[in-house]
Amino acid sequence: MTQLVELQEGYNKFQEQGIKLYAISYDDQEVLRDFAQSYGIEYPLLSDMDSAVIKQFGILNTQIQPGDAVLYGIPYPGTYITDEDGVVIQKFFHDTYKRREGPELLIDAALGRVVLDDSAPAASETDDEGIKVSATLHGGAIKQGAQREIIVRFELPEGLHIYGQPVPDGMIPTTVTVSGPEGLAVEETIFPPTEQLRLESLDLDLPVWSGQVDIRVPIYALSALQSECRPLDQDEIDIEVAVRYQACDDNVCLLPKSESFTITAPLETIHVQSIDLHMGHGQKEATFDGTPHLRRLLIRKIRQSPLGFVRYIFKEMGLRRAARKRAVSD
Amino acid sequence: MAIAETDELGFEAPAPVGHPGRAGLPASASTGPEIGERLPDFALPDAFGNTVRFHEHRGASKSAVVFYRSAVW
Repeated sequence: MTQLVELQEGYNKFQEQGIKLYAISYDDQEVLRDFAQSYGIEYPLLSDMDSAVIKQFGILNTQIQPGDAVLYGIPYPGTYITDEDGVVIQKFFHDTYKRREGPELLIDAALGRVVLDDSAPAASETDDEGIKVSATLHGGAIKQGAQREIIVRFELPEGLHIYGQPVPDGMIPTTVTVSGPEGLAVEETIFPPTEQLRLESLDLDLPVWSGQVDIRVPIYALSALQSECRPLDQDEIDIEVAVRYQACDDNVCLLPKSESFTITAPLETIHVQSIDLHMGHGQKEATFDGTPHLRRLLIRKIRQSPLGFVRYIFKEMGLRRAARKRAVSD
Repeated sequence: MAIAETDELGFEAPAPVGHPGRAGLPASASTGPEIGERLPDFALPDAFGNTVRFHEHRGASKSAVVFYRSAVW
């Protein structure tokens, strides 16, 4: 649900770019209406109560058995981005439900370019040659369960280029290194496609970028940094971004350069439903009471598989017993 | 007793490790329509009971279709 609230916070950006947004779950209309009213959700929350569309798409979570309490029928969470013809141009599925792209990253995928928010935390440097390099925290504050990106943007004056990979020995490819405190997961750098620069004199084709170049580094918080089960340990963190590059025109190369930036990134708690499961963890829990909806969902699911539910009760008890043992032995 | 265990990926959740609610996406699992394929059409009611026919409603716009777990829990 954090994701739904975050999508609403970015909904005006979807509208500005003419991108239609839909969210689908197995929830009934009653909870969706209550939820939409509690958080002012303006985009359609679609009710796929028997998970027919989830199954039609082939993304039913099959690790959950019928009778697994309220769980059966959920999808592997993920997002499809389509073009104007409804054809998938990008999709986001992760190995855990705790990594989800916020509105900005979905909009980037739809547009095929990075749209930075002017108010995002950023640092930049412009050198004597007029090369501007900036590093921006893209996608909003760091939140448990939400994926963000560090965007390193080059703005190269006309005639200058920088190098991708591979380049011959002695040339400097562009590299970006992002680091942060313990618990900040940093994924592999995503480079844009290069252009080929033909150097006739050397009989060489080199991968280069010119103009505006956006290099993306996905980041997200692990529980060592931030958890849905405890209040924030700190309000912000410093993220270090080191950039190395060499700019050349068609004849001459400038000296290789290194820049380092520090971005102060805010951390935020997440919205959670006011149900027992989430209470007292120091997150934002007072807006939406899920309790009556949870009861209704449970009844609906038990009716579908009463015997499965009996099996589930024993499984759940076993899991909790094992967890308590682990807690004691720690 | 509150349970908040960290899983092998480094995430914490208010349920024991191994709980089906924490199950991740297996490497072999389908993630549905692939890049380059048109999304299947579907019709579902929204929160207020209006039927949304996906491609008709989308018209000639780009779209983001988010599948999430639940608004209840």
